[in-house]
Amino acid sequence: MQFASATRPAPALSIDGLTYAYPEAATAALRDVSLNLPPGEFALLAGRSASGKSTLLRAACGLVPHFHGGEIEGRIEVAGIDAIAAGPGELAAVVGYVAQDPETQVVSTTVSAEIELPLEMRGDPSASRARAVEEVALALAIPHLLDRAVDTLSGGELQRVALAAALVTRPRLVLLDEPTSQLDPVAGDELIWLLRRLNEEWGVTVLLAEHRLERCLAAADRVIAMASGSVAFDGSPGSFLTWAQRADSALETPAAKLFSLAGIDPLPTGVRDARRTLASTAAVDGGEADPLRTIFPFSAPTSRRQQPHAPPKKAREEGVRLPSITAVRAKDLWVELIQRETPRDVLRGIDLTINGGERVALMGRNGAGKSTLLRTLAGLTDAVRGKIELPGDIGLLTQNPGDYLVRERVGDELLGEEGQAALKIVGMAHAVETDPRDLSGGERQRLALAIALAGRMDGDTLPGLVALDEPTRGMDRARKDDLVALIDELASRGAGLVIATHDVEFAAAFAQRVVLLGNGVVIADGPAPEVLSGGWYFATEVARVLDLPGVITPEQGAEALRRQPGGAP
Amino acid sequence: MRSPFAYISRPRPLQLASPGAAVTYLGSLIVVAFLFSNPIVLLAVGLALVIAGRLAAAHAAVRAALWMGFTLALLIVVVNALVVGRGETVLARLGEWPLFGQVDVTLEAIVAGLVLGLRAAVVMVGFAVYSACVDPDRVLRALRPIAGRSALTASLVSRLVPVAAADAARLRDASRLRGPGAAPVGRAALARRLLAGSLDRAVDVAATLELRGYSLDAPRAENRRSRSRYDRRFYVIGLAVLAIAIAGKAFGAGAFGEYPATEIGAGVATLVVAAAVALSGLAPWRRRPRSARSALSDRRTASQSLPAGPRI
Repeated sequence: MQFASATRPAPALSIDGLTYAYPEAATAALRDVSLNLPPGEFALLAGRSASGKSTLLRAACGLVPHFHGGEIEGRIEVAGIDAIAAGPGELAAVVGYVAQDPETQVVSTTVSAEIELPLEMRGDPSASRARAVEEVALALAIPHLLDRAVDTLSGGELQRVALAAALVTRPRLVLLDEPTSQLDPVAGDELIWLLRRLNEEWGVTVLLAEHRLERCLAAADRVIAMASGSVAFDGSPGSFLTWAQRADSALETPAAKLFSLAGIDPLPTGVRDARRTLASTAAVDGGEADPLRTIFPFSAPTSRRQQPHAPPKKAREEGVRLPSITAVRAKDLWVELIQRETPRDVLRGIDLTINGGERVALMGRNGAGKSTLLRTLAGLTDAVRGKIELPGDIGLLTQNPGDYLVRERVGDELLGEEGQAALKIVGMAHAVETDPRDLSGGERQRLALAIALAGRMDGDTLPGLVALDEPTRGMDRARKDDLVALIDELASRGAGLVIATHDVEFAAAFAQRVVLLGNGVVIADGPAPEVLSGGWYFATEVARVLDLPGVITPEQGAEALRRQPGGAP
Repeated sequence: MRSPFAYISRPRPLQLASPGAAVTYLGSLIVVAFLFSNPIVLLAVGLALVIAGRLAAAHAAVRAALWMGFTLALLIVVVNALVVGRGETVLARLGEWPLFGQVDVTLEAIVAGLVLGLRAAVVMVGFAVYSACVDPDRVLRALRPIAGRSALTASLVSRLVPVAAADAARLRDASRLRGPGAAPVGRAALARRLLAGSLDRAVDVAATLELRGYSLDAPRAENRRSRSRYDRRFYVIGLAVLAIAIAGKAFGAGAFGEYPATEIGAGVATLVVAAAVALSGLAPWRRRPRSARSALSDRRTASQSLPAGPRI
């Protein structure tokens, strides 16, 4: 018997007929969910917002139903332990859980104490605790943080500490709920490949819920897609893309959409996969030593003038066309903040002009100064040097739209004609009698934006600047498309828009121009197609696949593929 | 923005000491502040705590506590002067006041108020140094086997305080960013929103504690950092301060009388107690490592033995 269990370990996660409803909820959050995760698998949990991903993860770690209450049916086992009978405390030995918001996932004052806590709770001796903390810190490349206070850490560092605390007990299963939603592209990619490395080296089973599938699909062995609380798809990443193409285009990755539009098979799970397919297609066609160069003889141009497939002149002009009315002009802006008890120049001599009707994406690593720049423009933070000219007004929507909602009726937040006009411009005029808590995430964001814009309009026009700080956190692609439409609407009414974002695909969808900050300095400022195709981390998936100047969206990429010698089908 | 009283881990003796040793040392000074009303001794306790705080690099905490303490002391002096009419030296007769009755401001009442205010300020500095230098995680873990539920509550509160402070700052910003056409937000509405948000946050933090196994009835784990090489120093100095203070009290040190005339004892016994207490503030002093000192003296020796060269 022992031999049998040694050779056939229990599945890391086994769910059978699971149905669950939160207390007082009208509908079930999970409906008849069944799945098995064998040990050592890296599974990706996909699906739109409110499809049941987070609830499934919470059920797998015991928080559902033990912490949240509600009604549950079916069976769920984690490494052979009945999760419905055992509580999250008992499951902590075999499962680690990392949630979206790292701020509420730390309970200790210092990093080392935080990582050590789960071991201490189960009474491990000090020597083994010390070793486990050291090893997990080394694995996650955070030994330098061990003595730091948790409230001095950046979002990315805090997320790694939360992951370390989840991994320190060497659990069989790790559950992650959108762990990269607050991270910049660099930190997000690092985290995903760190998980993959831990999965391969430690054999830990990973179940990762994510919206930005292009970021993690290539690392996954398997994809489970949820829809309305049920498992809608369960299979390999490649077959998931074929399914998404047919069933829900909001779940398609940009590279898959590129191939789909260009009529190339099979659909790629990542950049490497896409480049290999393109290279093999070219090798079959031409037999060249460097097949990608055969497809794109211009992919390493010496200058823009020599690029036969650079964006057409008209498109470039559209990208840089600046209407005449200035929304904001910042000149030689310096901002100093106290960080870790030391004054630091967070912005260093920023020069920036945004015109009315212009749509600008503000990008850069965590801590590059994006939020500080927006706060300074809005007057929340004082500059120590420099000048800001705001001929009109500025409306800033910060990272947490919920902070703007303090009343229990939408109509009470926005009074009079000015309030009604603001509700109308964001498409929320119908919701005057609604309680803001009953609105969806996207609607709450629109309402918060209306509150920020109320009284700043001039009739139907919106002069001045509208600034949004990380508006796509935790959003699925359908909601991002709605936001892009709203941005277009605001720009068409004359507002200059500046949006701080880590999401390169979203930036490619809405921005005419991208300003890239690095350590408080503008390191790139140009048309979106140029900036988002000129690098690796701050480049769209299509740009990374094709490496063509100015080609950043699937539509542009498909067009370029069709134009290449030999043409795509 | 961080609170000036937030604990910061630093490689200083007071921070490295075990919670028991640090509490013994700081607690003994606080006890002395309550044992004596003599302003000389109280000033000595305050001086000791300020020195200790600065040696532990808790500058911001000491500064903030002094500012708050002196503000409170000033308030106490004013209230005491208006409320207490005892004392021989009347400085001003302010006539009949509603609620207060006849108000006579006396020198003795002002001095008594100063002593009360000084004690309050000294105690605040003591708690500020404790808060900035003693790791709350270690204290809570030391408490857990003794009072599990209290430790759990304290853990939640200690984590929620900075989270709520950050939430409050964000809500204030959002209220400033509301458009001129949006309904204005008063403090009461903000407070209600903060409270509702804090409850959600508390649930999230409680869930994290649950996932870390806080509810498990596990055996008490031995504490890896239970002792430091500075523990003995803090225990010895703390207990010595207490012993000297109690002995001094027995021998009549720290005599102080407020009414009807102010009497401040400044005899040898009082001065000895005050000197001993003030010197105890040096307890968190960190000696330079021997290797560094010997390297420095080697360099000095080498520079002294250099042959005389041309002067530039």
